[in-house]
Amino acid sequence: MTEAVVVGAEVVAGHDGAAELLVTVRHENGVTGHTILPADVGFAVMRAAGADNLNDLAGLAWGPIIRRVTDV
Amino acid sequence: MFDILIKGGSVVDGEGGTPYRADVALKDGRIAQIAPSITGEARRVVDANGAVVAPGFIDPHTHFDVQLLWDGAARPALEHGITTVVPGNCSLSLAPLKAADRPAVVGMFQQIEEMPPEAFTQAFEWTWEDFAGYRDALTPKLSVNVAPLVGHSVIRLWVMGAASQERAATVDEIRAMQDLLRECLADGAIGLSTSYVDVDAKGRPVPSRFAEFDELDALCAVLGEGGRMLQVVPEFYDTDITIARVDQLAGLSVAHGIPTTFSPLFDSRLTPHNVDRVMARVEAQFARGARVWPQMQTRPIDISFSLRRPSLFFARLPTWVRTLRLPMAERLAALQDPATVEKLVAAASADGGATLRMMADLRVRGGGEAPAHLVGLTLGEIAAERGQDTATALISVSVEHDLDVAFVAASRGHDDTDRIGPMLAHPLMHIGASDGGAHLNSFATYGDTGYLFSEFVRNSGAMTLQSAVKKITADTADIWGLKDRGRLKPGMAGDVVVFDPMTIARGDERPAFDMPGDGMRYVRDAIGIRAVMVNGEMAWTSAGYTDAHAGRICEAA
Repeated sequence: MTEAVVVGAEVVAGHDGAAELLVTVRHENGVTGHTILPADVGFAVMRAAGADNLNDLAGLAWGPIIRRVTDV
Repeated sequence: MFDILIKGGSVVDGEGGTPYRADVALKDGRIAQIAPSITGEARRVVDANGAVVAPGFIDPHTHFDVQLLWDGAARPALEHGITTVVPGNCSLSLAPLKAADRPAVVGMFQQIEEMPPEAFTQAFEWTWEDFAGYRDALTPKLSVNVAPLVGHSVIRLWVMGAASQERAATVDEIRAMQDLLRECLADGAIGLSTSYVDVDAKGRPVPSRFAEFDELDALCAVLGEGGRMLQVVPEFYDTDITIARVDQLAGLSVAHGIPTTFSPLFDSRLTPHNVDRVMARVEAQFARGARVWPQMQTRPIDISFSLRRPSLFFARLPTWVRTLRLPMAERLAALQDPATVEKLVAAASADGGATLRMMADLRVRGGGEAPAHLVGLTLGEIAAERGQDTATALISVSVEHDLDVAFVAASRGHDDTDRIGPMLAHPLMHIGASDGGAHLNSFATYGDTGYLFSEFVRNSGAMTLQSAVKKITADTADIWGLKDRGRLKPGMAGDVVVFDPMTIARGDERPAFDMPGDGMRYVRDAIGIRAVMVNGEMAWTSAGYTDAHAGRICEAA
């Protein structure tokens, strides 16, 4: 069984006018889904992933990132 | 004698009928007559030559709950042609609310709507606890009609107190919530709102988010006694969860015979199938008899930021992210350090100039410490004047004003007219989600109706004039079950807007310092509106607001 993996991340306009983070993840079953994160969570995800740049997120396992964000 | 006679306009009836030339007479708060030529006398005559005469527009998603207590016109909504507003969305309303619980709800309004604290301490006398008291506090001052929702979070707070943000409700508590909701509906609430998304001032989920399904189901059973509306904020940032909510709402709609609506629903090039997938499920659920109305706003979404707070706007520029994450004093010092600025500019220049060109389109917003002479200018214009590149201009303008200068990147989401036009025109799409009266310090939530006509009727032709009017008048009245609203027919309420179809639009966003305590908000002026009548009285003309207070709490059909 493979892990869920980040396919990519983009900055998008959020409902409240702030920049938010759209993360695209390919899940274990092969389905690709999107989720949009507010700024504070988006930064937490980048920190948890050790990513300086959005491009750094691509290819990383999603589960460990989420677990580290939750631990924070 | 008529009260108002509107002469020579092109009547758009709200039901989608072909426009036709006729006079419209108002008397005793209602539309008295529509005919090719009305010759009777009137106290006031409105020349509508070259203009459209339409039913007043209805805004189904607002947060004017607080503002209406000192401004019964919900300015500037009324001057945009809005004659009826629905406040109390997203699980939040100002009643029923025990005095002891006011601070908690004030915090939610401040967090979610960016309402200044002075709005709750200086602008009105808080005389009520129950819904009838709130209704009575509103009524004397109204210039617009109000169809208020009651918020699930405040119902839960009333019954459960602090436990409303800790646990599921007991059977007895659910029964008490049902009784309270029934009372609110009898006292003027048009329906119930709930949220799966919002948080309070401390970042905790609002009370409605602690409800289990049995609780919502029980409350919907009460809504079903009168066929009233359930409004929901789903997890709109995730397509699959939104679709699951559509199914849940459909189940509630069928089980209890109620309409439901959810908002917002956005389009994005990055998630190009979001709206299609959600609408496919909405269509399927309507086909089995459910009523689940998605709300979509007309306006594009802008991104705003300043260098006072970290923004994901710079998430592709690691050097910028690291600098802007520094504590305020260190950040300010770094942005004044020539070596750091040089590194930041180099980082912004590393992609062959694409980032610098993007920055050139950023525009200085009003408010904060932004100097008036820069407001509205692009960074490209400022940079050219200063002989700087745009990254240096961004930094220097910010540093010169303690970093308290906001910039806006216009139309960064929900902005593809060719895609959104057909979505708005879809027969099951409910045009709304303006959020009027909310997000005060972030962006203007006014003028969406003007933008509907300028962008989707006049510029792109995605909709005819009459179909656009229908969407925001009769359709809205029917979806929400508003009695006598939304149609230009004899006997209906005298809610009328007269506008120029060739010029109607929204004005530029500008800061206004008209909130209690000189608080700032962003507004847009109306363009192309000639006159707005509410319940047969002139409420606004191009000369300004009148003294009329003819607005009412709307009755359910």
